[in-house]
Amino acid sequence: MHSAEINVNTDLHAHGHDHGHDHAHGHDDHHHEETWIQKYIFSTDHKMIGKQFLITGMFWGIVGGLLSVLFRLQLGWPNETFPFLETFLGRWAEGGKISNEFYLSLVTMHGTILVFFVLTGGLSGTFANLLIPYQLGIRDMASGFMNMLSYWFFFAASVVMLSSFFIQTGPASGGWTAYPPINGIKDIALNKGSGLGFDLWALAMTLFVVSSLLGGLNYVATILNMRTKGMTMMKMPLTIWAFMFTAVLGILSFPALLAGVSLLEFDRLLGTSFYLNDIIINGNLLDYKGGSPILYQHLFWFLGHPEVYIIILPAMGIVSEVLSVHARKPIFGYRAMVISIMAIVIIAFLVWAHHMFVTGMNPNLGAVFVLFTLLIAVPSAIKVFNWIGTIWKGSIRLNTPMLFAIGFVSFFISGGLTGIMLGNSAIDIQLHDTYFVVAHFHIVMGVAAFCGMFAGVYHWFPRFYGRFMNETLGLIHFWITLIGAYAIFFPMHFMTGLPRRYFSFANFETFNNFNNLTEFISVAAIVVFFAQLVFIVNFFYSIFKGRKLEGEYNNPWGGTTLEWTAPVERLHGNWPGEIPTVYRWPYDYSVNGRSFIPQDEPLEPGEVEHK
Amino acid sequence: MDDYTWKDKEYLKERMEYTGIHPQKFALWLAMASMTMFFAALTSALIVKKADFQTWENFKLPTVFLYSTICIISVSVVLHLSLVNYRKANFTAFRLLLFAGFVLGTAFLGLQLLGWNELKEMGMPLAGNLSGAFIYLITSAHGFHIAVGLLFLLIFLFFAIRSRKDPIYELKNIANPKRQFNLELLVSFWHYIDIVWIYLYVFFYLNY
Ligand code: HEM
Ligand SMILES: [Cu+2]
Repeated sequence: MHSAEINVNTDLHAHGHDHGHDHAHGHDDHHHEETWIQKYIFSTDHKMIGKQFLITGMFWGIVGGLLSVLFRLQLGWPNETFPFLETFLGRWAEGGKISNEFYLSLVTMHGTILVFFVLTGGLSGTFANLLIPYQLGIRDMASGFMNMLSYWFFFAASVVMLSSFFIQTGPASGGWTAYPPINGIKDIALNKGSGLGFDLWALAMTLFVVSSLLGGLNYVATILNMRTKGMTMMKMPLTIWAFMFTAVLGILSFPALLAGVSLLEFDRLLGTSFYLNDIIINGNLLDYKGGSPILYQHLFWFLGHPEVYIIILPAMGIVSEVLSVHARKPIFGYRAMVISIMAIVIIAFLVWAHHMFVTGMNPNLGAVFVLFTLLIAVPSAIKVFNWIGTIWKGSIRLNTPMLFAIGFVSFFISGGLTGIMLGNSAIDIQLHDTYFVVAHFHIVMGVAAFCGMFAGVYHWFPRFYGRFMNETLGLIHFWITLIGAYAIFFPMHFMTGLPRRYFSFANFETFNNFNNLTEFISVAAIVVFFAQLVFIVNFFYSIFKGRKLEGEYNNPWGGTTLEWTAPVERLHGNWPGEIPTVYRWPYDYSVNGRSFIPQDEPLEPGEVEHK
Repeated sequence: MDDYTWKDKEYLKERMEYTGIHPQKFALWLAMASMTMFFAALTSALIVKKADFQTWENFKLPTVFLYSTICIISVSVVLHLSLVNYRKANFTAFRLLLFAGFVLGTAFLGLQLLGWNELKEMGMPLAGNLSGAFIYLITSAHGFHIAVGLLFLLIFLFFAIRSRKDPIYELKNIANPKRQFNLELLVSFWHYIDIVWIYLYVFFYLNY
């Protein structure tokens, strides 16, 4: 490429005031004061955008969690009434009992919100934004403007999704996977949630996808093109590898969801029959011909499976970092970690049909998907092995971030094992759509990813707010979450045959023996929910009142990575002077008789570079 | 915070000589990969459906689509020339060609609408046989990308025409690599959706 096309003066640093009007002169000579709105609302600064994602994600976390408390009330005490529910929910809970239809809306929205708005938008949006520029020595993202748009599309998606709670027919109720035909026909006589609620769901998801694409493009472009001097790919912290491949997964798989949902909306609004065929309602044959709901499942799961890795990879990256820092040991098998991430990303695109073993697919084709599904366990297991290797014989600090990181590993193992069972089609045919699957994915994805996210928040909180979170509250939060989450999900493995998404099991004699267990689970779920409020309180309390970082020195954990070399004070451009140059890999802990050596410290004469 | 200056531009220049690409251009390429996945998903849905659907009705593609193909190729040519003229600081030619690109792009959308009309008249309404529905679906998905391209083109056109009589503005244009860079991005995007249409046209041609 010729240098005529490389324009250095172009806006690499995305100032808050660049809105596309012409600057003939460079940026150096005019530094406007940012207005309040530029600083806190329409900010193009990666740190502020990261915090916006975090706060919005926390909001959604509470909403999504609250929804699960509501449906756990119904499941745990199917014969009781809770008059306060009617006060809050009105006709959705007449007589203090959640209606069947609203129950389905609750599970649908719970899944959608937690999977996409909290563990995708909230998790990637927060940590990729906060850490990519800081850990790689970059002033700001490749395009600050796009980054800002990414947040505001997320915000718009949130508003639309939330608004569906306040319409006459209520929010979508056909599952977070939005399968047709139930979601493919806009007929509220059939199912209220298939009305406007679903269209809002689809619109919100479209906005959400745009948001995560804008973010993802930026992350990858920034990581590949803008690293500081000396920061070769193999000197990047594992967090960055994880964020990069998360973004790659999103860039390549979210379009399939958009395609799937486009066809669905054509069916719903324009009368086509991509997914519908010979539908009979109340004895009337509808006019749909030739479609196939299985087509939707293929399109959905082509996103859906990569999506679960979009959720777990950032958590894996965070955990790798936190374990190494707090065990004061280099990460075990850095290269193997990187290769595992790549392997996971590639195989993640080849396993989607393990969600479809019971759709009547050709068993030979099924066998291929079984093979790839079991293969993906290999890189996952390598990572687990390396995490354990990392903390093995380390000088472990058992503080809150470390505990959550260890919790992540524990949950990832527990849920991964059941994944291997489900991955065998012969076993899955028995277990599909039962609480066993619910247990599997909540443990391996839901709880594990939350643990990773909490580890990250506790670990980097001092970096971004200049204060520590309260340790006692943190420990309370951790232990209740750890024990409580196992109490919720472990028993579900043994509720053999119990189908998921049922409003009530009263009509099934066989399932009566689970009554005590469901009640126990509901109690645990409520306790865990309130434990999360401890976290929220701790978070906001600590922003204002937490123990302060002391003095100039603001590297409280003794971390090697570049984010600890920048001042806590929020600067446009992150470093007041020159960007540090990198000389060594990010995991020099307990070497050369020192506790740690920062990445920007040159090698000693005669020291061999870690490869 | 103002003791801080952007002196690292030198460093960034070095970085880009090393990677050979502006990060924002790289981001556009990634976006193209993403859009490619989108159209790949739509067209593979068509292939799958065609394979398992007994009453798939084949028909001859509307002839209008041939004209729209020619039309969109000319958009690419015109916009490319517009960029060339911008680089040479021939701003009058640049503006004219940019405008021509906008007109032709809008004409493309019009032709697609005519194509839909032709489909309907040959007995292939939107809610009819799936074979026809796929054409409506895929052309509208592509048309949406065209509309976005037109929107950005319009913004560019607005700035290009607004101050055309202002000599200082023209000078600034020459000295402003940011505008040229943005123009390059825009033109690349148009080339991309142009190629997508050619792919779609050939794809339809082979499948119907
Ligand atoms: C050890 C590797 C894993 C294997 C072999 C595996 C296998 C499976 C299989 C076969 C199913 C389908 C069950 C059914 O519906 O009948 C499933 C469901 C699921 N898995 Fe995994 N899994 C693994 C790891 C993971 C990870 C790491 C995540 C997320 C981070 C995850 C998230 C999910 C989710 C969300 C579902 C259920 C989706 C739904 O039906 O609503 N799995 N898994
Ligand atoms: Cu899967």
